[in-house]
Amino acid sequence: MSAPLLDIRNLTIGFRAYGQYRRVLHDVSMHVDPGERVSLIGQSGSGKTVTMRTIIGTLPMPPGEVENGTIHYDGRSLLTLNKIERNKLKGTGISIVLQDPMLSFNPVLTIGRQMDDIVRYADLRLGIARGRAERRAHIVDTLAKVQLPQGDRILESYPVMLSGGMRQRVLIGMALLNKPHLLIADEPGTALDVTTQDEILALLNRLVAEEGLSLLLITHNLGVVREMADRVYVMEQGRIVETGPRDAIFTAPAHPYTRRLMAAVPPLYGPDVQTIENAHTEPEPAISVQAVSKDFTTRSGLFNQRRSTFRAVKGVSLNVMPGDIYGLAGESGSGKTTLAKMVLGLVAPTLGKIDVDGQPTSAAAGTTAFRKLIQIVYQNPGSSLNPRRTVADQIAVPLKFTGFEPARIAPRIAELLEMVDLPRDMANMYPHELSGGQKQRVAIARALSVHPKILVLDEPTSALDVLVQSTVIDLLHRLRDEFDLTYLFISHDLSLMRNFCNRVGVMLRGEIVEEGPVAEVFGAPRHAYTRALLAAIPVTTDAAEALKPKVSKEERAAVLNPTTALGG
Amino acid sequence: MSLASPGGGERVLTSRQMAVYRFTRNPAAMVGAFIVATVILAALFAPWLAPSPESAGSFVDFRNRHAPPSWDNPMGTDNVGRDVFSRVIFGYRVSLGLVVGVLGVAVPFGVLLGLMAGYFGGWVETVIMRFTDIMLALPPLAMALAITAVLSPNLINAMIAITLLWWTWHTRLIYRIVKAQMNEDYVEAAKLAGATHTHILFRELLPNCISAIAVKISLDAGFVILFGASLSFLGLGIQPPTPDLGTMVATGAEYMPEMWWQAVMPGLAILYAILGFNLLGDGLRDMLDVEL
Repeated sequence: MSAPLLDIRNLTIGFRAYGQYRRVLHDVSMHVDPGERVSLIGQSGSGKTVTMRTIIGTLPMPPGEVENGTIHYDGRSLLTLNKIERNKLKGTGISIVLQDPMLSFNPVLTIGRQMDDIVRYADLRLGIARGRAERRAHIVDTLAKVQLPQGDRILESYPVMLSGGMRQRVLIGMALLNKPHLLIADEPGTALDVTTQDEILALLNRLVAEEGLSLLLITHNLGVVREMADRVYVMEQGRIVETGPRDAIFTAPAHPYTRRLMAAVPPLYGPDVQTIENAHTEPEPAISVQAVSKDFTTRSGLFNQRRSTFRAVKGVSLNVMPGDIYGLAGESGSGKTTLAKMVLGLVAPTLGKIDVDGQPTSAAAGTTAFRKLIQIVYQNPGSSLNPRRTVADQIAVPLKFTGFEPARIAPRIAELLEMVDLPRDMANMYPHELSGGQKQRVAIARALSVHPKILVLDEPTSALDVLVQSTVIDLLHRLRDEFDLTYLFISHDLSLMRNFCNRVGVMLRGEIVEEGPVAEVFGAPRHAYTRALLAAIPVTTDAAEALKPKVSKEERAAVLNPTTALGG
Repeated sequence: MSLASPGGGERVLTSRQMAVYRFTRNPAAMVGAFIVATVILAALFAPWLAPSPESAGSFVDFRNRHAPPSWDNPMGTDNVGRDVFSRVIFGYRVSLGLVVGVLGVAVPFGVLLGLMAGYFGGWVETVIMRFTDIMLALPPLAMALAITAVLSPNLINAMIAITLLWWTWHTRLIYRIVKAQMNEDYVEAAKLAGATHTHILFRELLPNCISAIAVKISLDAGFVILFGASLSFLGLGIQPPTPDLGTMVATGAEYMPEMWWQAVMPGLAILYAILGFNLLGDGLRDMLDVEL
């Protein structure tokens, strides 16, 4: 066996801040062999980003301090290497693909300029003399490798002109420009839609094989790991708790933390899938959406002229029955959030009609009765909770404005906190003192404070780690049974929907393309888009992989936006 | 940055403790706080602190006029023999009175307009912000000169003139912060909960502006002192014999350069106070992590 390309031994790192020293990495040892694909799995705050930053030398020191340990790349010690030698390795030895394709570009420079800079400075460091035209040819070649054949046009573009998938491809291309040996990918594709993510992962896999790269993949998504790794390290609270070949980790996880992680991932297919039933039989729908469309008009210019009209929702009809957990699935821009806002009466439909509990929203929206009927839990509790108000203050708002007796507000808050499994003394805390999961529980408590019958859940767990997500989902199921609630659940996470909802509607560009009971839609998807979506989801078991619907290339191309063409 | 710290066991600092830590480890901020504290104490206890309290009035001592700095008169005496040091201490009273008077009116007014413009949008926003733009376009010193000249120069009128010009900056600042907050879900959540405009303006939006207002006030205080002194220097502010730093510089300037202390000492006193407020403001800005 050859010597490892990257070898980290006993790395211990801490931060000194506010007069305190806090150790964030404890004795971390890991290695990546040439041509190997290694994954580092961990939840947010586990220390995986610190590890990555230490490898590429961007960990701010101070406050960071390497207490102990070594990092060797190709036999050379990275932590003691002088700056010039180290810089020579940038892009040529180790290269990185960052998570957010938008934040990684300078918005005011063309892609060509940004890529050329990378080649030019690497040439300078390595003492290679290449002319502008030569560099350009090299860049266009590299873009072709990441499936962007129209390189010349891309080089003239500014980052905003490209789609998310294209930006991620360009970013991978950038990392490849100087022919690195080790590629570090930090959550690649996580910020993208699942179908695009799937393409990016396939591309990375192909590049690793074709270019003979080693890959260090940093992610929290176990499904991605199963598709992308030969060997896996599991990190918890700054410690490597388990390591081994992928199949061993996935079939027989040894450490309790790994087992908990595996159990928390909602299965898409297989025996562990949970099917939710609706025991209610009332004939009248809780929410009835009848041929609803919504147009958005952009205005600009000196006199606010109408510039163009965009139809975000196109003739959607659906019924949510009492007791349903109705999942509205779709990728970004599919119109699912607009539809939810119309149901809440925040946005008026351009065409069509929505009834909530038998009353049209056009008349009921804004009345106290309507507020007591339907409430919302937002995606990001960091934004839906006011950072300068205590938990009690925030839960009290709906109570105060729906005519709740002031004397009964405090006991009601205590009762609500108990309902969402939070300690009562949390009432006096501010949001920043709470964890993400606790914040979302507060948001749920606030939504439930006025005894609504219907809750709109706008991706309530997408900002949470998978372990936390499963506890919040359990809580939502329990509350539904306890208080006879009806949920309208908006999400792009189909695995979660499979286990959370009893009915599901799939939206594509403003239309519902498929709708039905969860077991039917997932078991036998009729629409090509549904099949493409399901096929793209990274799953954690081979059994689930085998059960995923098959979708042909032509079918895929017909329903998905091409991400390899400009303006797609 | 996502360098969240794993590993438990350590005492977790609250954000207030972290803010206090940032402030106390910042030498400039501590110096600023010290200076501001001395200025405020001097102003509050002027009659007890000043070696010669009678110098604050129309007291004259011609035998002792134009005396250079000495142990008895640390900053020398002026053209009628009054102790400059005592007059500086009393001068801070006037300066701080001006600050409190101006900011006490300008800040609440400016903040209220900023909140309304940012929250209501539409024509309310257009009217308020365009009016603010117009006020900002007027050259401040010329405006203040015009106002005090029309109204007859004295402390109250100087205060009115500065106030009329000052609120605009707060309107702008708060407007921007509120606009950014309007994209946050908690504003929509409050609307969905049926909250009144008053509730959203003062309970949801205002608390998120407080840090910025605190920093702005601290930075403003120095400039208000300077502005007041400029007006007095031009003879349009506080009138003698009330001890005012700007007036003292103006009178002392006639005896430059031989009897330099009469102008330089009050000038240094202005510098000292402004430096203090600016350092304090910068320290607060770092401590509260706000951008102005």
